[in-house]
Amino acid sequence: MADSMDGAYAGNAPLLPQAGWRRPAWVLAALLVVLALSQWPALRQAPLAKHLLTWSPALLLGMLANIQISVLAMLIGTLAGLVIGALQLSGLRVVRVLTHCYVQTFRNAPMLILIYFSTYVFPFEIHVGAHYVAFPDWLKVTLGLALPASANVAEIFRGAILSIPAAQWEAASSLAFRRTQLLRWIILPQCLRRMLPPWMNLYAGITMGTALASLVGVHDLLDTAQIASTTVNRVDFTVAIYFTTLLLFFVYCYPISRYTHYLERKYAFT
Amino acid sequence: MLQLLSQLVAALKGIGLNYDFLLAADERSAFLHGLVVTIQLSLATIVFSLLAGFALAAMLVSRTRWIAFGARAFVEVTRNTPTLVQLYCAFLVLNMLITQALKASGGNPLTPFIWVVLVISLHKGAFHAESLRAGIQAVPAVTLEAAASLGFSRRRQLWLVQLPLAVRFALPSLINNLVDLVKMTTVASAIAVGDVTYQSIMIWTQRDNVLELMLLMLAFFGLLTYLVNLAGRRLEHHLRMPGYGG
Repeated sequence: MADSMDGAYAGNAPLLPQAGWRRPAWVLAALLVVLALSQWPALRQAPLAKHLLTWSPALLLGMLANIQISVLAMLIGTLAGLVIGALQLSGLRVVRVLTHCYVQTFRNAPMLILIYFSTYVFPFEIHVGAHYVAFPDWLKVTLGLALPASANVAEIFRGAILSIPAAQWEAASSLAFRRTQLLRWIILPQCLRRMLPPWMNLYAGITMGTALASLVGVHDLLDTAQIASTTVNRVDFTVAIYFTTLLLFFVYCYPISRYTHYLERKYAFT
Repeated sequence: MLQLLSQLVAALKGIGLNYDFLLAADERSAFLHGLVVTIQLSLATIVFSLLAGFALAAMLVSRTRWIAFGARAFVEVTRNTPTLVQLYCAFLVLNMLITQALKASGGNPLTPFIWVVLVISLHKGAFHAESLRAGIQAVPAVTLEAAASLGFSRRRQLWLVQLPLAVRFALPSLINNLVDLVKMTTVASAIAVGDVTYQSIMIWTQRDNVLELMLLMLAFFGLLTYLVNLAGRRLEHHLRMPGYGG
């Protein structure tokens, strides 16, 4: 992870600009907010703002769909990934080879292809006993995103376990910890720490992947923006709606990325 | 050759995979053309993303505050928004505005292909820039002091000392980015660039053989990413300097 170097090497970077760039950014943001508020009555009457206000609930609902898909995909992906990651460290060679193939395939497959795969190959309803249960598109997309998520979580988990020095295992067993105790109290707490930053990176990546859902007809944020753009059919609105979409994704993903960065610095070399 | 192909298709049909489209000349050539377009896209974006990455990295470490701030803002926005949304912002918005502006003077020369190359290059360029910046930071301060004491100007320090070392530090993560980039070219299908994904969609809407085409595409992208990885490893080995990196 290139980013994890930041904390360690920040000290010897005399040629780099300091964190001072934040100040003009805040001033600029504050100015924009003040400007927008002072012009608010006039702005509200402008046709562009009217259209944007009309469409904003739909946009937010679309965004909610993206968040729902990403959270569920990450949940499934994490549970599956932990099992697969543990199996990758199995004593049985067959199990190791099979899980390795799984991880390599789904880490290297383009997300869009996996989304098409899950959308078109899975059935549109499932036969459970005498009932037909609908298998909606958003759920298929969720599973399509859970595949690469699980492969990546497996790799993160495996990497974390292997990164714990063997001396830790030996020291703990020499202190008469049982294997379960050793895992519970010594190894896993250290693993969790190391897994958290890459896991959050992965979550941000999966969230950005949910935008691909619009290509298979799921009503997400980007799909809503497209519908709005063709319905209103104004040049300025089209510009505004797509950049609002960009902004909404940024507002959701940027804090995650900052927090990941903070954690990486905090846990670097400990 | 064709006979061999039809035997292969027949054999695959035996295990339940329908590759009949390979026997229809037009669909076969469309699919092959899609493969070529994806390779062209990948090569063009690899080159331009690296150029963009170097330029952005140089801006990120610039002492001029506004340049550094602008580059930082661009990198953060690019890294934290979906590529597809960026592509739409570029193709559906900027392209539309350009088309309107150039209506009088003979139309818009920018094709969807160019837009995809532009967007993915800038997107991955931001990731390259971050990798390179981390590499630049990893160059020990004493090395730079030594260069400064030898009378290197700041520009020459950056190009002759800092960047060559930074590239070596950053290479593993640059290669990761390039593998990601190859996978990312699939979004080109969203704006109807005739890449392999687009051609496959065209074929499977006719023949309903999604699984078969998926397997072909996964194999193709597996091969492409393997080749990028291999080339990267070779380069890493070639550039390796004793005392720097693993």
